[in-house]
Amino acid sequence: MTSLVPSQGQFVKGAGTASSPLPLPTGCQEAGTKPSPPLALRLHELALVPSDARTLIDELLEEQQRLTAVEQFAWRKDHHVIAAQTKLYQELLPARAPGPGQQYAFAVDLDSCSGCKACVTACHSLNGLDEDETWRSVGLLHGGAGSGAVQQTVTTACHHCVEPACLEGCPVLAYEKDPVTGIVRHLDDQCIGCQYCILKCPYDVPQYSAKRGIVRKCDMCSDRLAVGEAPACAQACPNGAITITVVDKAAIAAAARRGEFLPGAPDPGYTLPTTRYHTTRGLPPNLVPADQHDLKPGRSHPPLVIMLVLTQLSVGAACVETGLRMIFPANLMTQLSSWHALVALGIGILALGASTLHLGRPRYAWRALAGLKTSWLSREILGFGVFAALASLQAAAGWWPALRGLRSPGLGAAVSLSGLLGVFCSLMVYRDTRRPFWSGATAALKFFATTALLGTVTILFVTTWQALLFPAIASHGAYRQLTVWLATALAAITAVKLGLEAGILRHLLEPRASSLRRTALLLTGELAEISMVRVLLGLIGGVILPVAFLIRSPAPGGATLGITVWMLVFAALGELLERYLFFVAAVPAKMPGGIGT
Amino acid sequence: MKGSVLPAEAGAPARPRALLEKARAAFHQQSGPLTEELVLRPGDFGLGQVPARLKPDATATAVCGFCSTGCGLNVHLRQGAAINLSAAADYPVNLGMACPKGWEALTPLRSADRATSPLLRNTRGELEAASWETALRVFTDKFKAIQERHGPESLAWLGTGQITTEELAFLGALAKFGMGIRHGDGNTRQCMATAVTAYKESFGFDAPPYTYADFEESDVLVFVGSNLCIAHPILWQRVLRNRDRRKIIIVVDPRKTETAMAATQHYALRPKSDLVLFYGLANLLLAGGCVDRDFVHRHTTGFEPFARFVQGFTPEVVSQATGLTLAQLRQFADTIQRGRRVSFWWTMGVNQGHEATRTAQALINLALMTGNVGRPGTGPNSITGQCNAMGSRLFSNTTNLLGGHDFQNPAHREKVARVLGLDAARIPAGNSLAYDQIVQGIADGRIKGLWVVATNGSHSWIDQSHFNALLDRLEFLVVQDMFASTETAQRAHLVLPAAGWGEKEGTFINSERRFGRVRKVARAPGRALADFHIFQLLARQWGCGEMFSRWTSPEAVFQILKALSRGQPCDFTGIRDFAHLDACGGIQWPFPEAGSMRPVPGPTVSAHKSHPSHPSHPAGGGPERERRLFADGAFFHPDGKARFVFEAPRALPEPTDEDFPFLLLTGRGTSAQWHTGTRTEKSAVLRKLRPPGIYVEINPSDAQRLRLAPQAKVCVESRRGQLVATAFVTPTIQPGQLFIPMHYPAANQLTCAAFDPYSRQPSYKACAVQICPASDAGG
Repeated sequence: MTSLVPSQGQFVKGAGTASSPLPLPTGCQEAGTKPSPPLALRLHELALVPSDARTLIDELLEEQQRLTAVEQFAWRKDHHVIAAQTKLYQELLPARAPGPGQQYAFAVDLDSCSGCKACVTACHSLNGLDEDETWRSVGLLHGGAGSGAVQQTVTTACHHCVEPACLEGCPVLAYEKDPVTGIVRHLDDQCIGCQYCILKCPYDVPQYSAKRGIVRKCDMCSDRLAVGEAPACAQACPNGAITITVVDKAAIAAAARRGEFLPGAPDPGYTLPTTRYHTTRGLPPNLVPADQHDLKPGRSHPPLVIMLVLTQLSVGAACVETGLRMIFPANLMTQLSSWHALVALGIGILALGASTLHLGRPRYAWRALAGLKTSWLSREILGFGVFAALASLQAAAGWWPALRGLRSPGLGAAVSLSGLLGVFCSLMVYRDTRRPFWSGATAALKFFATTALLGTVTILFVTTWQALLFPAIASHGAYRQLTVWLATALAAITAVKLGLEAGILRHLLEPRASSLRRTALLLTGELAEISMVRVLLGLIGGVILPVAFLIRSPAPGGATLGITVWMLVFAALGELLERYLFFVAAVPAKMPGGIGT
Repeated sequence: MKGSVLPAEAGAPARPRALLEKARAAFHQQSGPLTEELVLRPGDFGLGQVPARLKPDATATAVCGFCSTGCGLNVHLRQGAAINLSAAADYPVNLGMACPKGWEALTPLRSADRATSPLLRNTRGELEAASWETALRVFTDKFKAIQERHGPESLAWLGTGQITTEELAFLGALAKFGMGIRHGDGNTRQCMATAVTAYKESFGFDAPPYTYADFEESDVLVFVGSNLCIAHPILWQRVLRNRDRRKIIIVVDPRKTETAMAATQHYALRPKSDLVLFYGLANLLLAGGCVDRDFVHRHTTGFEPFARFVQGFTPEVVSQATGLTLAQLRQFADTIQRGRRVSFWWTMGVNQGHEATRTAQALINLALMTGNVGRPGTGPNSITGQCNAMGSRLFSNTTNLLGGHDFQNPAHREKVARVLGLDAARIPAGNSLAYDQIVQGIADGRIKGLWVVATNGSHSWIDQSHFNALLDRLEFLVVQDMFASTETAQRAHLVLPAAGWGEKEGTFINSERRFGRVRKVARAPGRALADFHIFQLLARQWGCGEMFSRWTSPEAVFQILKALSRGQPCDFTGIRDFAHLDACGGIQWPFPEAGSMRPVPGPTVSAHKSHPSHPSHPAGGGPERERRLFADGAFFHPDGKARFVFEAPRALPEPTDEDFPFLLLTGRGTSAQWHTGTRTEKSAVLRKLRPPGIYVEINPSDAQRLRLAPQAKVCVESRRGQLVATAFVTPTIQPGQLFIPMHYPAANQLTCAAFDPYSRQPSYKACAVQICPASDAGG
């Protein structure tokens, strides 16, 4: 029915032809590509007969689906390769390419940024980003008082830092800093989706794409710059507030180390961001981001929670086992050790398996050693890889007679040491993000205390379990002493750990809205219930049950095993919740955001 | 694309070095399918680099369908369908820029909650899909039955400034002449009625005199109640293109808005004290001898009574009323006095007030008395709201008879009847009710059936709860909209699914009187139809199809509208057709046919230096790109003179008191939000660019006094309702005042249904409220 073009359709009697009702100036008829009158007449007839299969409704529905823009307005068939926009943005681009020691950078004229946010949408459209993907954002600073009240909108994207934290942390070297332009580019096909760069970047720049399993980010429209076009954001700013400039890296570094960047923004000394914010307004000292008080829990990263807690349990079990072997008689420990080693190994492998669930593209996980030179994540993977290998050897030696010769205090020590190195790398992974809640001391305390705590309770559980199976263990003279020691240690470690964890609450007393105060507010506010449950689980599993165990000093048997099972369950759940809070209560550094609700 | 990961050389034994290279490539993969997704390639058509996978095979320029700036958007097409868009570099309005709404204009079209079929409320009270045949029959049967039972005044329609001029005219003509519906109004009553009334009384016709080049040519720009940076970002672009280094930007606004931040002088007056301020300024200018006596004498009437009237507005009186210091008042007056090309710009801060018409006219008076009219960079200039509010003002057939004519003028009715080929008796000889009077008509039981087209009154009308309660009293409510999900559609008995911007043809008229083209670049979902087609179907179903036998296409209607405009101030008979608009980048009215009786008032603006020359300016067929009115000083009153209109200021309809000690201001939140959000909330990107939930701005001193912590949940209550919002404690709002953006549905539960008596525009900007912690509320 394509011949039926109803745009000139008549539908009432006596309507006449499709020619325009009014005398048209010359030139009008040539302008469009109009259907010829007879078709419209046919439509007219059609509509007159109600019984006809095709009604006016059909015709109009069909016309509604016909797109006419091209046939009517196709005068632009000539191909203009040169962007028509070019004339508008020439002055926004630098006159020449960067020289040695220089690079490209965004410069933002805050006096001109009026908060229209066209830059965000233009970047989105001109780069063909996903429906909800944005590489630029616009935040708000406010402050002053009275007639000196100030609101200042701030457009921000990747700062193409002199020392990019994303690049430094990437375990697969998926970031490159262009030696000439200084643009920090992300190699999308190299990315394994570990998202460590998201934790590393203090400006919330890399954006994770769940459907692709990778991270993507601003590349300053490298392809555009290469042909003399302005980046999308710069060419779309109605006020010309965003320009591309050539900056001196040494000058940037010096300014950044003096703390010169933008009020309300993270410390620039960390990554040396190259974006320059200019203003002649004289911003008041009390300028704060509009989302200063907008406290929202962060992402919980369940695979990482599980991975951290279970690797630490595994390493802890190996260490406790190694320690006990130095103290307790060999005839007791030999029986226990093969089981201890097997449990430690099993949990360790479970932990490493869980960690791959965190990756967007786990099948490329093998690339993760590429970044050993700079990335603590690569080092963590190597550390736990070595630990897993040695722990496998140790477990095999315990069970496979042919390898019995490998059993030695040296191997045990090697397993423990490699595991502890892995845990150390873990804490460095988080410390390296420079979030105050993840400081070296806090992370070290939590990670090593968890290692000791869960290692102890695991060994206690395995020991009581073995005692139930093997009367020789239960009847061994040192057995009771062993369990008493373990239970005492467990209670002590847990008490100390819970006490130190509560130390975060002292930041509630701070007058200023520091990152740690925000963490404390979150833990006692939106996360208060989870915090309470965490403490309760810790107390039950790590203090109350061990103390009950010590008081009753029970003989080996089902009831004893039952108690240690509950100890393990409560303590492990408590640590999992502690680690969940470790993630969700860590307030990430970020650029000033908008009004939060 | 696997080959790019490990290029396999089939069969050939690879050399060790090649293998090593492959291993290295796999270990450190520089390119591949994921990289390819973001690669840019030349897009041709002057677009520069575009995403390779979104390379168009044609482009077409369409005018944006959000605000009245009327930006040209370059729609990237593939096989006729839009795949992307960018701001048109050569369009004379926006010069290559667009705001976030424009950039995202295509996104709402793909929304899942589009109305795709007529919906009819069934016996269980749910909206249920129906055929068009049924929908048309029910519409006609129900409305005719109401008319029969309750008389010709029992039906009304509420239209919009969001559909094309041709559709607005079709709706107005069909409803009033075809269906005999006496009363119709539009949501333009909520935004532009004041400017219309003010211009008509002062100039003799609803004629915003300016062209956007005036932003660039002014040396003093006065913005009143206008947060241009957020509400009209692309007009702010034009302000920043003003290369006069000594230009002074004055902002009159109670809040320290984005625009106030960018101003040279900000006058944070008390809300709704603007009329007193402008009378006081007139008095200071008079005293300073800053009156263009020659202009006033030759081109105006009523100056002497005005001059006597403003003498009472001494600086002391004005200072007391506005909260501004005497020094501030003197500085303001001095700045106007020293300016050579002073322009006055106003938006909703003026239009939405209880004495809005007189306030707008107070600005017109300032421009008239200082001779700042008709010259480049001058004018009392109302900046319009919706994309086609100007089309609505001329052709909605509500307040004005089609083409800016007067229902009460027999000669006008004869002329319109002649052009349309209908009996003049079908044209009502009286004006129809305004929006608020239609609402009152429902309350009084006089109006029983309502037809709502492309507007969302259940969210946007003042004192919303009352309005919604009234809607539920209607015997039949029809809502014609792109979305079945709007608050209003959810209350309808019948929903007619409409095609949206980008899915139909026609024209919009922007703030500077420029006709621009709207294009069909996307397919409407399901059985949605352009409003134009819906009107065609309803006309036939109602039995008045014959009356519209020539209304066959938007372009045919455009020709009818041209004929209606002949001889009017808005005469655009010189525009040949849609292609003419395309070729010229839109054309401003007036543009009469060459040799017609009335010449184009005022000479054309010479092409501004900073404008890029248009590459395809048609020889002989097009006007200058930017034209303003009144260069010859000839106004549209019969005597050719403009009038000074003034009146004593009146008290706020709802002043603060002990129980409701705060004044609540409402207004635009961000540039990413449009009115009730039926479209902007459908874009994931635009949603990222606005605060996710309702918030209330409160000054730190008030927050401290009331112990409201930043970010706390607070309850804001007026005599009409209450809401819970997040407190945003900021010094940009003055003590004693609160601000809530209008985009959140609850905002209008608080507002007070007061109206300007002349324009009948609602006073959204000030009502009395109280605020307390949400935990204290409801107890």
